[in-house]
Amino acid sequence: MNCQRVQESFLDHQDGTLPADESAALRAHLASCPTCQREWAALQEITRKLDALPVPAPSPRLREQFYAMLDTHERQATHSGNPFAFARSRLDRFFEALLPHRPSLQFAFSLALLAGGILVGARVLAPEPATVAVPVVDPSSKEEIAALHRRMDQMGQLVADSLLVHKSTNDRLQSVLATMDVANPDRKLLADLVSALAFDPSVNVRLSALEALAPHTKVDVVRAGLLTALPRETAPLVQVGMIELLAAAGEREATPILDKISRDTTANQNVREAARRALAVLRAPLSPPTDNQNASNKPAQPILT
Amino acid sequence: MLSIAPEIRVSPPVAAPNVVAMAEELPTDHELMIAVRAGDIPRLGDLFERYHQRLFAFFVRLTSQPSTSEDLVQLVFYRILKYRHTYRDEGKFTAWIYHLARKVAADHWRKQSNTPIATDPTELPEVVDTAPDSAEQTAGREDLALLRVALAQLPVEQREVLVLSRLQQVEHRDIAQLLETTPGAVKVRVHRALKELREVYFKLRRERAA
Repeated sequence: MNCQRVQESFLDHQDGTLPADESAALRAHLASCPTCQREWAALQEITRKLDALPVPAPSPRLREQFYAMLDTHERQATHSGNPFAFARSRLDRFFEALLPHRPSLQFAFSLALLAGGILVGARVLAPEPATVAVPVVDPSSKEEIAALHRRMDQMGQLVADSLLVHKSTNDRLQSVLATMDVANPDRKLLADLVSALAFDPSVNVRLSALEALAPHTKVDVVRAGLLTALPRETAPLVQVGMIELLAAAGEREATPILDKISRDTTANQNVREAARRALAVLRAPLSPPTDNQNASNKPAQPILT
Repeated sequence: MLSIAPEIRVSPPVAAPNVVAMAEELPTDHELMIAVRAGDIPRLGDLFERYHQRLFAFFVRLTSQPSTSEDLVQLVFYRILKYRHTYRDEGKFTAWIYHLARKVAADHWRKQSNTPIATDPTELPEVVDTAPDSAEQTAGREDLALLRVALAQLPVEQREVLVLSRLQQVEHRDIAQLLETTPGAVKVRVHRALKELREVYFKLRRERAA
């Protein structure tokens, strides 16, 4: 055994892992070699010192921080405010145990799932087009569908008309006021005005319609409209306007209605008085037509000014 | 003239000496880690109790910074928790935890941008000694302080292999696995590191005596 070999075996010799025969040869060499003796002594000293180095101890802070970290992790995992977290982790573990871990098996499993999905999809979704085709074949169903189509068209028309009719109050008022500028309105326009007078929900629109109709009381549509609208009217202002207009027009057919209003105790006092005045006018002998014409313009004036 | 019985560590260099010393029914490190991996997180506490002091000593010897070393130990256990799913069934826990510890140390040095080497004994962590002082004890403490300085002056590769083999008592086979080399090569490195340490130490002692 030469010196280099001996010195290389020092560590194993020190650890006691050197085979017995080599260990004996080493000791024999050491006994006769001063250089290796010095090396061995120096190694012994340094390892002894190294082993004597005190083991540094951590402060309690380390343990505290570790358990705080563990607590935080546990809280986040199970009590993070999500009641499903625990169940989910259990579920994850269940599927982890159930599903394959090897990539090749995972791939095969995915392929099997895909094939199964296609198979099920083909079976479940295929009959659907056949059921859709049935009503096309059946003639009675065909008629039914045609009828439904017609009804749908009608409803569409109705909705369109409603949209036209139900403009904003301001728009309706503008429409009515616009008719005042027309010198000789046709029956359609007058009929529209009468409709506004009878059915418009806004008092302002009805008053404007009444004013627009005032010059045209000679037209039968207007008078008939006034007679129809008067019993429906609820606003005293419009009622008084209508009564005065009918009286001015000398519409004797209004007498029963006016009579009824004049006796109606629930009616507005002004309306009843107006009805009584109109009855007096209508029951009176015929007035000159010029006065009627002048008077016909009068009632609308105080209403609108 | 056979092997020197270590004064501090009397147990043979095994993966978890305290486990061997204690009752046989105690779970092994590997079993505990498998449990942690399966979601039994509190079992990590058992592993912490078995390993935190060793890891702390490892980091203190490597960095010479006790406070930083505590943070690094904490970081190792944090990574165990974070990467517990990567622990392999056939793995060895000791090798794995030291592997993580080395990575944590490497990250630490990367952040520091240079390896901190303490050259003055006053910069090194002092070990509290409550025993009454004698001249011999004082001389012994100075010796140990010099040795710590010598150790800190070694290149980090040599320091690491010495700490693992002599102070942490990790088996040469496990060190070889950590360093991705053979056990024979590890022995050679340990031998060279010891020789280097001895030279630095005696040089420091001569300078001190002069």
